[in-house]
Amino acid sequence: MEIVQLVVNGVLLGGMYALLGVGMAMIFGIVGLTNLAHGEFVIVGAYASTLLAQGMGVDPILTLCVTVPMMFLIGAGLQYALFNRAMRRGAEPALLVTFGVSIILQDALLLLFSADARHAETAYGLATVRIAGIDVSALNLVLFGISVCSVLLLSLFLSGTYAGRAIRAVSDDGRAASLSGVNVRRIYALAMGIALATAAVAGLCVGMKWTFYPSSGGRYLLIAFIVVVIGGMGSIPGTLLAGMVFGLAQVIGGANYGLLISYLLLLIVLTFRPKGLLGK
Amino acid sequence: MKKSAASKDAWALGALPSLGIVLGIGACLLALGLGGALPANGMRYLFQIFLYITLGEAWNLLGGYAGLTSLGQQLFIGLSGYAIAVVTGTYRLPLWLGVLAGALLCALGAYLLSFVLFRMHGMYFAVATWVAAEAMSMFFFSWKYVNQGGGMTMRISPYPTIHQLYPLALILCCLALTCVTLLLRSRLGLSLMAMRDDPEAAAAAGVNLRKSRLIAYLASAVLTALAGGLFFVNQGTIYPDSGFQITWTVSMVFIVIIGGSGTVGGPVVGAVVYVLLREYLAAYPGWSNIILGAVTILVILFLPAGIVGTMQTRMKFELFSQRRHPKPE
Repeated sequence: MEIVQLVVNGVLLGGMYALLGVGMAMIFGIVGLTNLAHGEFVIVGAYASTLLAQGMGVDPILTLCVTVPMMFLIGAGLQYALFNRAMRRGAEPALLVTFGVSIILQDALLLLFSADARHAETAYGLATVRIAGIDVSALNLVLFGISVCSVLLLSLFLSGTYAGRAIRAVSDDGRAASLSGVNVRRIYALAMGIALATAAVAGLCVGMKWTFYPSSGGRYLLIAFIVVVIGGMGSIPGTLLAGMVFGLAQVIGGANYGLLISYLLLLIVLTFRPKGLLGK
Repeated sequence: MKKSAASKDAWALGALPSLGIVLGIGACLLALGLGGALPANGMRYLFQIFLYITLGEAWNLLGGYAGLTSLGQQLFIGLSGYAIAVVTGTYRLPLWLGVLAGALLCALGAYLLSFVLFRMHGMYFAVATWVAAEAMSMFFFSWKYVNQGGGMTMRISPYPTIHQLYPLALILCCLALTCVTLLLRSRLGLSLMAMRDDPEAAAAAGVNLRKSRLIAYLASAVLTALAGGLFFVNQGTIYPDSGFQITWTVSMVFIVIIGGSGTVGGPVVGAVVYVLLREYLAAYPGWSNIILGAVTILVILFLPAGIVGTMQTRMKFELFSQRRHPKPE
């Protein structure tokens, strides 16, 4: 029974990790940019949700109505104003620009909200549900639901709409897409907007599940990166699977060694598959 | 071979004469320091500048010349700091043994890591170096031998003052500049730059990619370890948080980008700007990384060659020139 419990917890956690990774994977795969500020964007989302929920006295999940459009606009704006320009200088300068954004955001959060730990409280935070003889935390179930719905929604958007098809076209071959009349810069901005919208949802989950600080971004960036490396950047099922594998590794490793084990796992995977497990 | 118009008119001071001038200035500063002509505060500034020049040159060797953008150089700073703390604190051995142990440990660490890291490129390399440093930080957090998260204290008696540390930092800085200049002047320098600009063509032309990268990575690790070690000797204590923090790499990136990536003079200018700017920003707590980050972004966008690189093209003058035929015929 204990093993089943572990697996269930790992899978539930894995849904969140997949959501953390999916935004990073989009930017990686479509825009061709390593966004080292992704973790900070998640934390920005966490702050926005937590503070809004506290201020208005509503369930944190409702704050998504505000934070998702807000982060979408921030992402699209940043891509237009900054990242598109930086990418013209090459891959390494663009990487360092996102690095600059990440340290700016980290200190801005510290100035605005101090170094105190934050957490988004909910009425069902400590409740458990008993399903088929296993105790499952209600919070984990809710977060798993939010995460998997977001990832599936994104998957539907990419496969079913014109904008989604344009995004996939740019991802496959930017020059050919541009010749067929796709405005590549605008698609980049759209993709970055969507990636930050997923970061907003991921931030909500992080805020509801754990305590966070202005400096927590690096940790979630690395989690997102691990998921991308294991799952490959193009495939959404791959990302979901990678999230679950990673979630299991975390649950098995426990609080002390979970992250260390995952880091070592990442280095081992990269040693044998330098471009990721499912990389091209 | 036709050279571009800019470099045809430029007059260049070759690497060795440039190095001679720099070592001359270094000797003067050393004499001033030993003679007691410098106030202690001035020494503290210069101490920092010398160490940051060393760190900048070490990062530049990787990022600017070898095309290896590392975000994990703090690994070597932490390792070296802890090596000194263990040798002097736990075993009560002299400081020089600690510094030596730190440098050797980092060389060994870099060698072992190279088997993993050199299989990756670009962003994979960058993030993997960072992950390696983070993993090491976590390991030190739970390692009883180094007092876990509680940190360690250096025990050196008599404890070196800034008057003893200043000449050490100055010598290290001159050593770093000499090392980097000579490395780049050698066949290896050519290989590195060829590799950075086009790895496949370089390999086809007979450049041993792994060997060239390894030498650059080892040299960078050892220089970083020595500078980091001196920093922590000056500080007296080390924690996993302070030793392995990403801020170290932030400062290196800033120094190299501001000064001019891929120039030997760049990190020198960058380090001076960095130390002065940070000192000035100390009056505005919390803002330093915001300003540093913003300046880095602006420089990448609008002055991609950095201060030294831009001055070289504008003023048609080149210091530490690596060109084999500096004077046009």
